[in-house]
Amino acid sequence: MAQMNKKWVVLCSTAITAVYAAGYFTTETEAAMPPLPHHTQVSIPTNDISKNNNPSNVKSTYTNKHHISPKSLYKDGTYTGMGNNRRGSIEVSVTIKNDKITDVEVSHFAMHYSESDIAGLPSEVVQNQSEQVRNVSGATYSTRAFQDAVQNALSSAQNV
Amino acid sequence: MTIKQWSKSPKGYVAMVITAYLLIASIAEHDMAGMIHGIVAVGAAVAVDILCGLMRQRKRMLPDGAFITGLLIALVLSTATSWPVVAATSAIAIVSKHLLVYRKKPIFNPAAFGLLLSILIFGSGQSWWGAFGDLATWMIAFLLIGGYVITDRVNKFPQVFSFFGTFFVLLFLIGRFHLGDASDALRPPFINAALFFGFFMLTDLPTTPAKMKDQIVFGILVAFVGAAVYDLFGGLMYLFIGLLLANLYHVLKSRLSAKVTNRPVSNMQPVSKRG
Repeated sequence: MAQMNKKWVVLCSTAITAVYAAGYFTTETEAAMPPLPHHTQVSIPTNDISKNNNPSNVKSTYTNKHHISPKSLYKDGTYTGMGNNRRGSIEVSVTIKNDKITDVEVSHFAMHYSESDIAGLPSEVVQNQSEQVRNVSGATYSTRAFQDAVQNALSSAQNV
Repeated sequence: MTIKQWSKSPKGYVAMVITAYLLIASIAEHDMAGMIHGIVAVGAAVAVDILCGLMRQRKRMLPDGAFITGLLIALVLSTATSWPVVAATSAIAIVSKHLLVYRKKPIFNPAAFGLLLSILIFGSGQSWWGAFGDLATWMIAFLLIGGYVITDRVNKFPQVFSFFGTFFVLLFLIGRFHLGDASDALRPPFINAALFFGFFMLTDLPTTPAKMKDQIVFGILVAFVGAAVYDLFGGLMYLFIGLLLANLYHVLKSRLSAKVTNRPVSNMQPVSKRG
């Protein structure tokens, strides 16, 4: 086959660049828009007003007032956090009770990799009581996004 | 063939350009894991290629094609991938080149075949780090320069342009009419992957057509399938699936036209003239 004329090469390249640019700017709002909300607190089951009517709860409050204990690190409740990078995003729900991570769930997985790559990480967080997990071989980006998501949730749960 | 002659051949060009990418990306990322992967992937690919060549008593034993396949695999697989998976991916790619053949030519692009199976079998992570996916956006210029040099050398501009043109038009339409999320595919690292794929995998001579019209159809087909798979399923397999299906289409078309050409003359004669 004969070589393509250089004028055609330039013309086609220009046309393709124009189409690419049109696509790029058309999708700019999608790219700029975070797919999921950051720092969303789902529920905080703390001292319920109805429970305070119960004399035993009042007693408990009284006891707490006089008990010298360090301030808790986290507020009880379920918190969501998001981690994202160039390969997608992950949203997790972290449940905290008495300063302990009791449950971690991947609530939204939008990475360009398989979700099964990080299937073992939520239980690892509960076990380690920290967002620090082993790096899953071949799933570095998903692992990083997951860690960021847990860190994100924990920082919104922090008792300040 | 002397080294000088080889360096001017299409395979020589591709080998030199992608070796340069391996070095540039490794230095820029300050990570030597990619270099080790390159050695492992090329070593496995060359070893399997020589072994297959000996078994098939092939005359030409120069494993330059295997060298390119190994390097392509190393540049696409994540540097966090374990080395046995890198070696196995290379081995699968080379075995497919020798086993899945039509008229002594491989049916499927070996690197794409190996990488697709690597995801399905090993669940390997593919980062396209050798396409500068995690580096500064301006480094895409390296892909364009190397890509144009290669495409010109192998005379594949119609195929490459039809692929990129169709692919970007489809992504534009997906984005414009909100048919899916096309934003990722048009941005790093996915745009790096598409450029690297278009310039260095799509231009493989043995598994793609030579005629201009066939090249254009081939490029359009790869883009259509790739964009459809991306839109419907996301993930990272969309480009490979597009190329492998187009490879299959190319072989089926060749078989069909060969049947028509080889049809006995007597069958073409009017009924009245047949025995």
